[in-house]
Amino acid sequence: MNHNEYWNPVLETMPREKLKILQFKKFKRILNWAYSHSKFHRALYDTAGLTPDDICSFDDIKKIPKVEKSMMRGIQNKDPFPYGDALCVPLEEVSIFRQTSGTTGQPVYQPDTWQDWEWWSECWSFILWAQGYRTKDRVFIPFGYNIFVAFWAGHYAAEKLGCEVVPGGVLDTQARILKIKELNATAMMATPTYILRMADVANSMGIDPSLLSINKITCAGEPGAGIPSTKKRMEDAWGAKVYDHSGATEIGAWSYECSNQPHGMHVNEAMFLVEIEDIHTGEIIEEPGRKGKMIITALDRMAQPCIRFDSKDVIEWDSESCSCGRSFRLIKGGVIGRSDDITKVKGVLLSPGAIEEVVRSIDGLGDEFEIIVDKQGDVDRIKLKVELLPEVTRLSIESRLKDQLRLKTNLGYQIEFYDYGSLPRYEVKAKRFKDLRKKNF
Amino acid sequence: MKNFSNLKGVNEKILKVKQLLVELEAEAKQFPALEKNSKRALASIKMLELNISDILAFDLADS
Repeated sequence: MNHNEYWNPVLETMPREKLKILQFKKFKRILNWAYSHSKFHRALYDTAGLTPDDICSFDDIKKIPKVEKSMMRGIQNKDPFPYGDALCVPLEEVSIFRQTSGTTGQPVYQPDTWQDWEWWSECWSFILWAQGYRTKDRVFIPFGYNIFVAFWAGHYAAEKLGCEVVPGGVLDTQARILKIKELNATAMMATPTYILRMADVANSMGIDPSLLSINKITCAGEPGAGIPSTKKRMEDAWGAKVYDHSGATEIGAWSYECSNQPHGMHVNEAMFLVEIEDIHTGEIIEEPGRKGKMIITALDRMAQPCIRFDSKDVIEWDSESCSCGRSFRLIKGGVIGRSDDITKVKGVLLSPGAIEEVVRSIDGLGDEFEIIVDKQGDVDRIKLKVELLPEVTRLSIESRLKDQLRLKTNLGYQIEFYDYGSLPRYEVKAKRFKDLRKKNF
Repeated sequence: MKNFSNLKGVNEKILKVKQLLVELEAEAKQFPALEKNSKRALASIKMLELNISDILAFDLADS
């Protein structure tokens, strides 16, 4: 490993005790900024009886109240319109509007200044450099280039690295595949769902995607690239390395898998402070091996700060460090799921990601599946819909699928088999999990 | 931590460039092309500060 493997060789290999000092000092800086520029943040901290001066040590950070997405929804559409009073800069300084995808409810608006937008692509530069993007790469980006942040910052980071970027905006999937083939694109960024979908469409066009020139793929938006069986399907289909990344509109691009593929993601601890909180007790989890939800601070985001944001992402620290030499900690297996989606069924905790891992590990099943949890009388029931690949029989699959599901999730399933191509296809984020016991379904 | 020779010298250059751009922006109120390009360049300079200047400002560089 030499200096050229790191985007910032000093920050990425900084000893942990120094990183902690860096994080604390930057936390104090953004806290002071928010307290003095945002009515929303000042009121939040005043109500808790805290000022930035009360935060004197790293341990004090957990005293700062968390921010939930619902709180951001509550302030927007007010002055300064449409962001409300979490805005820390004059409205004239805002240069770009984004909004969250609305997967979990009313979208949240996100203002960014020129500086914030530079920061977004800077965070992505850490990611792409660690995944081996260089000037020789021709990067095809097949997403809608719309109001959602998605891969916008990845686009600008790739440009900053000196790659040649091909914006695959309004093209349909077939046209995108033809363009990748025509231009010999070497890299691509998309959700796992869409990477698999594109492979499927390519095959239906008589094009073997593994014979195209794509050699690396960066995934985001869903946990798939951190789920071994899904990652394998993508890598096999495209003959390329698949790397995981996680980010969010209101947070930024906070983590990445490096080219060593350590079965987890590095947290960019120079730009973000990640805390893991026990879902039940609220205790901050320091040790590896315990899952909790992520509380995150973007240490340098200015227009609408993200300070101790309750992301609902479920993660756990990895006990192993990565052989890449980065001192940034790893989260094991990436983002495992969302605390919203992890639910109790028949008294057993169920994570949709665990079902995905099983379905995608079984040859003979298609990529698509659907999980529906409902009640039959007073008893919880899980229905799993899967597709059989052509010429595969239900008999050859069913007992293995049931056994693996029982082994990995400790639950029984009502399994429905469908012909290949029957279940819905998605082009961005998939909605494969439905809990009909919840009122909003 | 990887050593980077002359971090201090690099930082001095970053701060000089920043100062020049601040001055250019201030002098350009009737000259939009100068004002906006200077301001935009300052947004990029901020990334150099996050990558390098903060290490020195927070006294984290190897001595």
